Amino acid sequence: MNHRITVVALSRAIARTFTTVAPTPSSFPMKTVTRSNFEPALEALSDYVRSADFVAVDLEMTGIASAPWRESFEFDRNDIRYLKVKDSAEKFAIIQFGVCPFRWDSEKLSFIAYPHNFYIFPRQEISSRGPSCEFLCQTASMDFLARYQFDFNLCLREGISYLSREQENELLQQLPRDCADSGGFPLVNIPDLFFTERMKIKFKEWHDYLLLGGSSISETHGISGGANQQFQISFYKTRPALSLAGFTAHQLRLIQMVIRKHFEDLAYVSMNFEGSHIQQLVVYVDSKADRDLLLKEVKEDNHKGFKHKIKAAVGFRHVIDLLCTEKKLIVGHNCFLDIAHIHSKFFGHLPITAEEFGSSIIKHLPHIIDTKVLLNSNDLLQQLMKKSSTSLSSAFALLCPQIALGYKNCDLASLSRVKAEVQVDDIRVSNWDPGAKHEAGFDAFMTGCIFAQACSHLGIDFKLLSPSEDLAYNKLLQKHINHLYLSWTSGDIINLATGNMTTESMSSSKKRRPKIIHDNIVLIWGFPSKIMAGDLKECIVKAFGYGAVTSVYQIDETAAFIQFSRSGLVSDFLVLKETLERKNSTISVLNPLWKLLEGGKTRAAKYEAYYEICRSALLKSLFADQAEAIGIKCKTMQTHLEAIEGRAAREEDPPIREILSANEIMESLYSPVVEKQVETSKLL
Amino acid sequence: MAPLSPFLRWRRYFCTNISSASPHRWGVKQVTKLNFSGALEEVGARISESDFIAVSLQRTGTACAAWHRVSAYDTTETAYLKAKRAAERFQVLQFSVCPFSVGACKVTAHPYNFHLFPRDELKIGMPSFSFSCQTSFLESLVQEDFDFNACIYNGISYLSRSQESAAKLRLGNPVRCSHFVKSPSSLSVADAVFVGRIKYRIKQWKDAYKDLNKNTNDALVRSLSQLVLGGENYGSRPCINIDVCSERQVQLILEILVEFFEELVPLVIPAKGGGIQAVRVILTSSKEDKDLLEQELQHLEDEETRRVRGFREVINLISASQKPIVCYNSLNDFTFIYKMFFAPLPSDVDEFICSLRSEFPQIFDLTHMMKDVVPMEKATNISAARSYLRSRYFTTINMEVPYKDTENEGNSTHGHNVLNICHMFAKLCSILKLLATTDPLDAHHGFPDIEKHANIFRPSILGPCDSSDESVRVWSSSKRRISTQDIVFLWGFGEKMSAGMLKSWLEGSHDAFSENCFNIRFVDKSCAIVVFFRPGLSGALLGTMSSGHLSGRLREMVSEGLKGASYEVYKRICRRESSWEGAELADAFQRAMIDTGHSPEAESGSKETDIYWCSDSRIKFDDL
Repeated sequence: MNHRITVVALSRAIARTFTTVAPTPSSFPMKTVTRSNFEPALEALSDYVRSADFVAVDLEMTGIASAPWRESFEFDRNDIRYLKVKDSAEKFAIIQFGVCPFRWDSEKLSFIAYPHNFYIFPRQEISSRGPSCEFLCQTASMDFLARYQFDFNLCLREGISYLSREQENELLQQLPRDCADSGGFPLVNIPDLFFTERMKIKFKEWHDYLLLGGSSISETHGISGGANQQFQISFYKTRPALSLAGFTAHQLRLIQMVIRKHFEDLAYVSMNFEGSHIQQLVVYVDSKADRDLLLKEVKEDNHKGFKHKIKAAVGFRHVIDLLCTEKKLIVGHNCFLDIAHIHSKFFGHLPITAEEFGSSIIKHLPHIIDTKVLLNSNDLLQQLMKKSSTSLSSAFALLCPQIALGYKNCDLASLSRVKAEVQVDDIRVSNWDPGAKHEAGFDAFMTGCIFAQACSHLGIDFKLLSPSEDLAYNKLLQKHINHLYLSWTSGDIINLATGNMTTESMSSSKKRRPKIIHDNIVLIWGFPSKIMAGDLKECIVKAFGYGAVTSVYQIDETAAFIQFSRSGLVSDFLVLKETLERKNSTISVLNPLWKLLEGGKTRAAKYEAYYEICRSALLKSLFADQAEAIGIKCKTMQTHLEAIEGRAAREEDPPIREILSANEIMESLYSPVVEKQVETSKLL
Repeated sequence: MAPLSPFLRWRRYFCTNISSASPHRWGVKQVTKLNFSGALEEVGARISESDFIAVSLQRTGTACAAWHRVSAYDTTETAYLKAKRAAERFQVLQFSVCPFSVGACKVTAHPYNFHLFPRDELKIGMPSFSFSCQTSFLESLVQEDFDFNACIYNGISYLSRSQESAAKLRLGNPVRCSHFVKSPSSLSVADAVFVGRIKYRIKQWKDAYKDLNKNTNDALVRSLSQLVLGGENYGSRPCINIDVCSERQVQLILEILVEFFEELVPLVIPAKGGGIQAVRVILTSSKEDKDLLEQELQHLEDEETRRVRGFREVINLISASQKPIVCYNSLNDFTFIYKMFFAPLPSDVDEFICSLRSEFPQIFDLTHMMKDVVPMEKATNISAARSYLRSRYFTTINMEVPYKDTENEGNSTHGHNVLNICHMFAKLCSILKLLATTDPLDAHHGFPDIEKHANIFRPSILGPCDSSDESVRVWSSSKRRISTQDIVFLWGFGEKMSAGMLKSWLEGSHDAFSENCFNIRFVDKSCAIVVFFRPGLSGALLGTMSSGHLSGRLREMVSEGLKGASYEVYKRICRRESSWEGAELADAFQRAMIDTGHSPEAESGSKETDIYWCSDSRIKFDDL
């Protein structure tokens, strides 16, 4: 048996040599961890983390946006930004996790970094209860990783699996049921009858041998003889036993029935060995008390085995648990999405709002700092960055040239530089070639270096820090801790601890756009495919007058946002659209807006509908299809009615609303509205 | 590298071992984008000389939730909707094609295994922005030593037919207009003015250019005058761009060129958002030069098309050959093929079958061909069916696979499934005596017996009948058909219930549940199907459950949350994409009830809520 396994493993290993080997991407020294070396690596890592001043992390995922319209837009409200991040974290998988503890070595006056690169794969270690049975891949992301020579084979074959806390608890609650009786059932078909008779004879034979011949059964020509491998004589907890192999589940059930019916002093036992495989045994017991004792022991063993199995299945989450228990400062670069992934994969479902998410995550990881926020919030650092991009690699090259270039050209200017050495498996390296970008381990290392350098510029002198002082409580860092970019493009920062959102006052480098007022925005989709943003604006300006539209933003080829100059125009637009569609006469065709409505599939709704659409987990690649699929189309009418009612409330006496039906009110309102619009457009 | 060498020796040792002893000893040609163009020509030749084409797809998944998978209780419509959903979510990573011919006791096969990856070669978000992977499927691929790096690094991309036309618009590459028909309509005044102006402009440009060539050899003067003339160069030839505002103007320009300027070759430049932006006119020096240019353009266009279509070229070859196709589960495979290479899947199953038939006139589904030979429970997958056939029928089919694997030893076992399909098809033909009477020479014209097995898309687990049929089998092992009218879905009975337990619970709790009148099958943990063997009982049960006039055990169960719905509600769920979220069917039913305005509480209490009778009108509402 064992031999066979080795052969299979060997042949597989050999077959692997035929497959495309990802070219070794870097000579940057880091510890690659897969499931084959996970346990020793975890043990070593826990020491490094315990003694670390901070831990940098970085993730590689299978994708960012599940559809083009799920990408981050300027027009997204903060709650929608969070929904988009949530959707991404729920749908995509983590395939690489970089963890890099940094420790200040006061003798060498340098940081020691321990970069670890974990390959992760959401394998289902426990039947059907794994991390998730399905995940999404974004084609462009996969292609991007392939360009940086990501080793997918290693990831899928040797990636470490995991269970979230939620999943683990669920599993622990449903410990395996005892192999309780499945109830006697009548034997209906002939083969079953024959089988039970045969089994009865076999067990009787063995039973009699046990009683007559004692331990000398193995020499007799009992059931163990011949080619019959279905029964193996063995011992179980010092009792003689027969282990059963090669039976179907149905046959096992029949055997179980036979034993219970006909043998007082035999017990049928189903053993879960280390949670890996299940072994059925028929055990000889002396008495009823002995039998109860045996069953109790088996039950305990099975529970233990099952728990062991769960513990093994927790897998990579042990690393996260380690970070949680040590409460070290976690450093990431633009890491809101990373943190959301960590929450959804290792803790539990993501809450529906960003505020709840923040309060939930800081319970687990109390100190998170984002180097991108840090770099942008401080003027001195901004100057150092020479206002260039704060992307990870460019920040690394600018702030830590001495590390990026591997200390090859040291000069006087580097005196103010924080030094960092890398240690892998007790070997310290202070000289290496520039590493491969987009390997999570190296990215985490870069993030950590940037953080250390930024700290030194902020005035934290690592030489003067006492070893007991926790960086997470350093007052120079306090105003940045737990501040993360909800969206980098808009500069919206969320404070995880309070749930407060602030918009970073963007430096002049970002060009100012008209202010976005969500109440003034109409969402429109399903219009004819030849219409572009420019045409949209033109149509609406013709109908509502010049200056009515502040901006048009195209979501994808099927949908767009239109921001009006006044919020009133939103309902005017919706009403006019509805009227034109309802009348569908030649006069409607003359309206400039008609161009948008051609085809009859154009829908429009207030901004709120966008929230609904983003909240749905449904996945359609075109916005219009998505909206259609979740049935937002019905909402148009509703908003429209609300608009009418709103108007009615404003313009008419309340009693009228009670007398007139909604339809009548609409009728009474349409004509003046349309006329008014036509007039204004004439005037302009 | 020194320590590697003994390892290499091992590898060689194992390799020979595999090729002699492994059951998949036939070599399969592996094709990635690196050797695609060569393989394309080869496979084209093989297709034209063979009788049948076997195909087999390696997907990234089918469905996670049990009720998302096609099962015996599905009608053709719901089965199609399930297959459609899978095709829209998942991705094909390997596409094996095997043209083969069947002779007496011999099959000659030419297997090719294409590695696919939906890489966005043109940077336009096509063929697919994202795709799903089912972990268990990837794991089984790992077991087969699937090479994910080869697939993602070097997989062949593709575009469907509808994507290709969209892509051409977006790329805006110049289009040659070889097939030009003179319009019959007469010229309007505006047209005449336009024609006159353009004619003059082209003539002036052409003459000036000719003069220029004659008079001066000075490069500087030449380029200066070219600037003045507003011309550009197309390769080594001079050309001029004429902006247009309408299709009509394009037409007119083309007419002028044909009529007056023989030596000029037009190219139409599309605008970014569709329509035409300009016409580029290229000057050639002679008739021969013009032919040469047209050849060049043709070549460029072919290259471009090949680049855009990618793997679809192979599908086009198969479709163009009109040869019969053999596959294992046609509904699964062809929903993927249709979506990947033709167009988005229609929502109606008949429309799907109809348009598919125009591409592939004959499709043989092995699951169907074996339904008379192999019992249902043995036919769950191809290898089970194969071993069953091997044990029951003695027919020797010799496989001849001429491909000798030289370059990529060891990898060539990928995609061997397609060979199993060829083999099994030949075996089934010989068992069913389908090909016995025919002369192998006039292959696909003369298999009269086999034709009756073609083009059946109803998955065989659903049993044989046409798509309009409204009966299902419920149990995959039983042959008994049950009208969908006699089916009720039940949920809300708590966890850890087995079919037997539920049945004994229900027995006698209502008139409908009298002994031997009904049976129960579980869809998943949360939801069960009750089948009534007498008509009318299902309606009676649902009626009582919604009326509130309950008594005895059923009342108890309803008050504890038991709910029921008809098959129509199930169909509605399958049609609505938003109801697919959630892993358990009970959730979907629950949501369907809320969506139609019936809270589940009202369902058991109020009078008008019988979904059963009102369901028709509601379906129409959904179809809008």
